[in-house]
Amino acid sequence: MKILYSLLKEFVDFEARPRDLASMLTSIGIESSVVSQACLWTGVVTAKVLDVQKHHAMDKLFLCRLSDGSKEYSIVCGAKNIALGQIVPLAKVGAVLPGNFEIKRLKIRGVNSEGMICSKKELGLKEESEGIFVLDEKTKIGLPIEKVFDGEDSILEIEVATNRGDCLSHLGIAREIGAKLRKVVSVPQIKILTKPQTLSCVEVKSNLCKRYIGSIISGVKVEDSPKWLIDILAKSGIKSINNIVDITNFVMIELGQPLHAFDLNKLSSKKIIVREATGFEKIIALDGKDYKLDPGMLVVADEQSPIAIAGIMGGKFSSIEDKTETIFLESAIFDAFSVRKTSKKLNLYSDSSYRFERGLGWDIAELAIWRATNLITEIASGKQDALGDFHTVKYEKTKIALRFERINKILGYAIEEYEVSEILRFLGIDLQSKGEMILCTVPSWRNDIKIEVDLIEEIARIKGYDAIPISKTNTYYSYVSNNSFLSSIVEEFRTKLKGFGFSEVLNCSFLEVSEFERFGLKYYYKITNPVSKENEFLRSSLLPCLFKNLILNISQGCETVSLFEHGKIFLKAGERKAFSAVMYGGVWHEWWKWVERKVNPKFDFYFGGGIIKSILPSEEFMIIENLTPSSYFHIGKTGAILFRGKIIGQFGILNPSFVSDIKDEVFYFEIDLEPFENTCVKKTIVYKAYSKFPIVKRDISVIADKFLLFSEIEKVIKSVIKSGGILKDYSLFSVYSDEAKLGNGKISYSLRLLYKNDRKTLSDKDVNDDVSILLDRLDSDLNVKLRH
Amino acid sequence: MKDIRQITTEALKKVKDSDALTLESIKAEYLGKDGVLTQILKSLSSYSIEDKKRIGSEANNAKSIIVAEIKNKKESLKKFLFNEKMRNEKFDYSESFYFPFSKGSFHPVIQMINDITAVFKSLGFSVAEGPEVETDWYNFEALNIPDSHPARDMQNTFYVEGMKALLRTHTSPGQIRAMEKHKPPIKVIVPGKVYRNEASDAMHFSTFHQVEGLAVDENITFVDLMTLLSDFVHKLFGSDTNIRFRPSHFQFTEPSAEVDMQCIFCKGKGRCRLCKSSSWIEILGCGMVHPNVLKAVHYDSRKYTGYAFGLGVERLTMFKYGIDDIRLFYENDLRFLKQF
Repeated sequence: MKILYSLLKEFVDFEARPRDLASMLTSIGIESSVVSQACLWTGVVTAKVLDVQKHHAMDKLFLCRLSDGSKEYSIVCGAKNIALGQIVPLAKVGAVLPGNFEIKRLKIRGVNSEGMICSKKELGLKEESEGIFVLDEKTKIGLPIEKVFDGEDSILEIEVATNRGDCLSHLGIAREIGAKLRKVVSVPQIKILTKPQTLSCVEVKSNLCKRYIGSIISGVKVEDSPKWLIDILAKSGIKSINNIVDITNFVMIELGQPLHAFDLNKLSSKKIIVREATGFEKIIALDGKDYKLDPGMLVVADEQSPIAIAGIMGGKFSSIEDKTETIFLESAIFDAFSVRKTSKKLNLYSDSSYRFERGLGWDIAELAIWRATNLITEIASGKQDALGDFHTVKYEKTKIALRFERINKILGYAIEEYEVSEILRFLGIDLQSKGEMILCTVPSWRNDIKIEVDLIEEIARIKGYDAIPISKTNTYYSYVSNNSFLSSIVEEFRTKLKGFGFSEVLNCSFLEVSEFERFGLKYYYKITNPVSKENEFLRSSLLPCLFKNLILNISQGCETVSLFEHGKIFLKAGERKAFSAVMYGGVWHEWWKWVERKVNPKFDFYFGGGIIKSILPSEEFMIIENLTPSSYFHIGKTGAILFRGKIIGQFGILNPSFVSDIKDEVFYFEIDLEPFENTCVKKTIVYKAYSKFPIVKRDISVIADKFLLFSEIEKVIKSVIKSGGILKDYSLFSVYSDEAKLGNGKISYSLRLLYKNDRKTLSDKDVNDDVSILLDRLDSDLNVKLRH
Repeated sequence: MKDIRQITTEALKKVKDSDALTLESIKAEYLGKDGVLTQILKSLSSYSIEDKKRIGSEANNAKSIIVAEIKNKKESLKKFLFNEKMRNEKFDYSESFYFPFSKGSFHPVIQMINDITAVFKSLGFSVAEGPEVETDWYNFEALNIPDSHPARDMQNTFYVEGMKALLRTHTSPGQIRAMEKHKPPIKVIVPGKVYRNEASDAMHFSTFHQVEGLAVDENITFVDLMTLLSDFVHKLFGSDTNIRFRPSHFQFTEPSAEVDMQCIFCKGKGRCRLCKSSSWIEILGCGMVHPNVLKAVHYDSRKYTGYAFGLGVERLTMFKYGIDDIRLFYENDLRFLKQF
């Protein structure tokens, strides 16, 4: 909302200049900034032209000497209207003009210029202007330019919180200034004209209309508004229509009460009926559009049909025209929620509905009708015939008991009683002392103040938050915190994966149908009002998101892409936390050594599985065969992750038929984080003394059936290790699958076995005996034989 | 016969000037089978007993001095040669270092949530989470935002079809859930993803993150809130960061305030693309928990007071790194991500 600096001064006496006024308002909760003039410049001063000479190399340029009283400047200027003795605005080196245009030292055709003489356009005063801006010859020199415009108007752009409808006017802002500066606010003088007749043509049939005041003015002359009125409206961003409409708008920005004027002679039976719409009524509003009204919407009607959508917009039919002679002026208080609902339903918003939605002051409605009536009789030479004031509710001012001790309890610092009373009184609140408390009667326009704590906020706000002492040492107490394992398991995954070159991504939760269908995923939650078709469903898996990121980065030329994300997914049973990662391309990034050594492995099933193994935080996690892989995995290259007997994740190469647009294999894994929500799986570590005797290594190769899972062989080895003998560890170091040499359906694994005795150095025989035992077991249990 | 002392001096000089090739021949020249000193010792028998004793001991002495010197020379030559060898193996450090994995990265927004969480944990807060698909009650009603209030329009809500559910527009429902679960005293933060149906531009995106904070106890005041938040800003951005509190309005707090932080890029000097030259950047909203909110969770508002705050993570992150478009966070281009 725009507030005119000059108009504010009509209501309250203050000295603050526009910029200071804006920061003062901001400090009491009304975000303000100056949108025009005054604060647009820094480093621009008034200066006198001492000398003007033609530039030696350029006909059109002048070489000038200027003085600001303390220093002389040589300036190159191109304006034809420059002349000796003029007082002009001079932007010195370092000055900043509107549009963040900074003045620098320049050399123009070999001559130094120490600044710029400004035009009105350059100062942002006018859209277009010719030549430099010549100031009054009596202007003092060396003055910051904003001082020259002291008398001119500035406009403040103001943002008002949703509960402060009372601030949507000049009077409202003036009241805030008055409260802060402890100044009395004056309200426009009202002339009560010779007592008009009572109004008989109004009937209020719905209590959604709380108060309805009508004023009939006859003999008006509808014409253009006077210049001052057009000016004020223009500065407020309101177009001038005619004197009557302009006056209603002026009173609205002045006092905050929306008004409406009807051409009384156009109304059927000259009746005004405030009622709820029935059946299927329609109205053509002032914006020229046709609106279908729902039953229950509040309207102002004549005997036949609606003539206005109450509080939102008038109808075209009854509007004021040049030939209008008698007007019916309305100042009403309509139910805020009703206006809001109707406005939303019709998608029709106006300055009027904006104010009604936020609530209006009971008393202001009356003030406004008088103010407008006075102005109309003055400016449009009308005569008031009748006035009527109708209530459907009994209005009573809010009364709140305020306890002094409560102020301290909420705010945490003491405010003197006299200061409390002073602040409240300047806010227009009536006070009545009652011992330890005061009974506060809230003025009609402050319908946001409902309970005690609202008053406490007012006190803190007007006193100023910057006056609140922030203590240096705060006494903290701790609430017993139950840090779930979730964050620590995710933290472990994240930290390790980052070390492996992964990047963490963050996606929005919306996807389109095709993104689910590509992977055969189901989707459950549709957004009623999505931002676009691409954002219609909540994700049921992290896969489509990560895949989208993968495609983007491949298209940007990345040869290695490894990404992970954790976040909510939305399944039929509800939302769950999940962790997923995708990897693609070369495991290692390019290096001349790899070229030299002819290696550069790609992310494949084994590497991916290895990454998973290395990030799982404890031995309670196991990797097992994936018996029920999701359809998006390659059937032959997938595995599952087991935790305490439950499958909590799966991994593998993405089914190539789903991702045929990508040239290499894509590895993907997903882990459900929900089981870790309230489970502590941190391993308890118990130190074991380690053996000081040397380790003996033995390499063996065995031949197995190729469909036998390697994990079966591992199981046997592990059980031998677990039995506590001298075999301590093993690793797989080679897999050979040439069936021509091994025999049909055969595969060979080469294993390194590590032997150690905790009490003595092992002999060859000790180790050989133990290897034989292992080989016998592999043979008898799995038909796995030593390869000679 | 040459003077033994002279011989010694001569030999020591030769050893000093020798290199790996000549050292052995010098050794032979003096100490070898036909070496000068060997000859002297061999010829001892022709001297008188007195002379035998004297010359013998002198020669032996000279011998051990020369032997020791040759040994020293050998060591230093060996050291020199080894250093030479290493020098020849010199690598070009400017191109050879390598780690097989490229540089990984954390998402700056998640990292910021972590940093914020760490600060509040150090100030005694615990961490809770809540669902992203919420009910009208938790997101609005319990927070004193009735359907009739214009504040609802400020939060463009996404609704879920076929359910009485919406996507939370702020993390404030977390306050309600925390209070329903625990009796006071309570001190908790709730980080998470939130959604608003807004046209996206450099400062707005349909998805973003907030961290909500709440403390309720018997003697919590507005000053406590202000102290906490100024501590928070100082811990996160450094103790020389200025902040200011501005009165504001939120339905679920009273009194309410907005907190601005001085721009860390221009330090308040203005003319800055980040703070739009205002030198202040709004970072969070806060206030004392509204009695209606306490009532909604059956807390006794006569006995307990509390404060709540909510901060926008993306905004803070953009501000921290000088990022000028919020959408970059959700594009997940590695050229962006790898910078963090």
